[in-house]
Amino acid sequence: MTQKRMFTLLALFVTMALLVTGCGGTQSAQSDNKGPVKIGFFAPVTGPAAADGESVLNAAKLAVETINNDGGINGRKVELVNYDDALDSKQAVSIAQKLTTKDGVVAVVSGSYSGTTRASAKIYQDAKIPMISAYALHPDITKTGNYMFRQSFVGPVQGKAGAKVAVDMLNAKKISILQVDIDFGKTLAAGFTEKAQQLGAEIISVDSFSTGEKEFTPVLTKIKQLNPDLIYIPGYAAECSQIVRQAKELGITAKILGTEGADSTVQFLGVAKDAANGVIITTNMNRDSDRKLVQDFIKDYNQKYGYKPDMVAASTYDAFMVLANVMKTKGTEPDTIRQGLTEVKDYEAVTGLIKGYNQLGEVKKSVQVQIVKDAEFHYFGEISDDDIITPPSE
Amino acid sequence: MIMQQVLNGLVIGGVYALTAMGAAMVYGILRILDLASAGAYAIGAYAGLFLYLATDNIVLSFTGAILLTGFFGTAVQKLLYIPMLNRPPIVPLIASIGLFIFIQDLLRLIAGPRIRVFNVQLPFSAWRTENLTVNPTWILIILLAAAFLALLWYILTRTRIGLAWRATAQDLEIAKAMGVNINKVVALNFFLGYSFAAAAGIMVGMLYSSVFPTMGDVPAYKMLALIVLGGLGSPVGTVIAALLIGLIETLVAGYIGFFLPRDAIAFVALIIILLIKPEGLISKKA
Repeated sequence: MTQKRMFTLLALFVTMALLVTGCGGTQSAQSDNKGPVKIGFFAPVTGPAAADGESVLNAAKLAVETINNDGGINGRKVELVNYDDALDSKQAVSIAQKLTTKDGVVAVVSGSYSGTTRASAKIYQDAKIPMISAYALHPDITKTGNYMFRQSFVGPVQGKAGAKVAVDMLNAKKISILQVDIDFGKTLAAGFTEKAQQLGAEIISVDSFSTGEKEFTPVLTKIKQLNPDLIYIPGYAAECSQIVRQAKELGITAKILGTEGADSTVQFLGVAKDAANGVIITTNMNRDSDRKLVQDFIKDYNQKYGYKPDMVAASTYDAFMVLANVMKTKGTEPDTIRQGLTEVKDYEAVTGLIKGYNQLGEVKKSVQVQIVKDAEFHYFGEISDDDIITPPSE
Repeated sequence: MIMQQVLNGLVIGGVYALTAMGAAMVYGILRILDLASAGAYAIGAYAGLFLYLATDNIVLSFTGAILLTGFFGTAVQKLLYIPMLNRPPIVPLIASIGLFIFIQDLLRLIAGPRIRVFNVQLPFSAWRTENLTVNPTWILIILLAAAFLALLWYILTRTRIGLAWRATAQDLEIAKAMGVNINKVVALNFFLGYSFAAAAGIMVGMLYSSVFPTMGDVPAYKMLALIVLGGLGSPVGTVIAALLIGLIETLVAGYIGFFLPRDAIAFVALIIILLIKPEGLISKKA
């Protein structure tokens, strides 16, 4: 009786083992050219950056749906393998290990911030799986290796574009900078300062704040005394909306120039309301573009998710579209995708015409300048000077 | 400029006082560091927002939200803390951390991760001179904080239940032996504490026009600093500590432009003050 039971157990064990290895077998059978093409994705869907996480996950889903509705990759469906990193680098690393060893993805899009993207970049590089960082802007991400690409401007590019807007378009002579005290704020402010001084403006004060800060009246009271022509705020939407509101309450009349960090319809425009009117930002999405691609994206996204897409959503959407386009012409092997990405030239994306990716994997495209009117972002200008938008290549 | 900065500091201090008061009271009576009252702060803000969206009446939604959160507080003490009273203090502390995380995630699941806009139009506009701007929400915050703290002072010093509260805070076992209804005292303590936290949450939600699931994160640890600084469980000490930290933060950020984030200034001040006065601003024996 006990022997029989043991045999049953053994049989069960063997069956399970077979099942498990069997699963593994189908999962790694990526190059059979029949099953779906798997693209990996990670974003902070829970945790402190959950709002951006939700926004980009929606965009990723919309992109995959659009690709599949258009016939997929030469007849093969695209499958989204997505994970939540909760803005935690440790989780991002284990996700990277899972995506590269178990899930059998051919390429990865990072829908997360710089910290998590940087932490996992090396794993994708070592596994030779190309990754496009949708909007994380730390310079080290692309420096990890030749499988890393970036869909959004690297910090200095956007900083310099901001300086051009401030000095040449808005005639600012005296400028105060109020930056978020992390890589994002610092790299933007550094690029801005360099170019603004070159163009003849004076930086009269630099103040920092930490992410999550809500109270800016002390520092804005100080800035008010200095009476600058313009305040440059490289920071995220939650903080920028408070700065704009509190500046208005304190009666500050200086012009306010933000960055793509403030490009959020819910978190920035929704919270700042009327105080946001007249605020100008540098970003990578032109809402007033007459290109059908852009208007369709805004319409589809809004219809599906109930709010208008922001910069992070548009950049993520584009990352998938660029990948799909490359895979259609070059094939679905990770190596050929990487090669294909380096050859991208003049690709029409939602965030503008992608002129290409340089040897470092940095994108080259025009910087959009948007102004807030009646609680909506509108066209204000476009920076396409080669010396500004050409990203560093080392 | 100095006037403006002092006003800014008082507003922030008032909010801190209300936020920390609940936790200070809980510590004073049960010797539990209750991090979950930072969750009550977020619950209050969400309840206030949803009631405001439903009724369009800020007085009604404010009252409703603090009552709801107060009852939540009494439920928490009954179901969570009372059964743990005889365990080492680390057990309820960990339970409170767990409850806090649970509250945050529950709010995220119910209301979504995005910032919810809490835009209340007050019937008065900002008052502005050359050097001073007074925002109507600030006035409301200072007045409400003062009213709540006066109410607390009245209850603690002028009522029978306040007497029972003070006896219980001094020694729970002896108060019990002397016939004080401990359960009633503890329940009221949590009710008031969570109501205070909720009031602070609603006011902050209105002040920044935004409510989001993780809004309790910073108050959670700052509250601890204030309780320690105030002399562990002394309500008066906590209020003084809150106003002091509000002012210090504002003046340092406004005049010196510190290299540390504003929230860290509270802890630097805590370390300095505790080095000078290790028992906290108001010591138990005083």
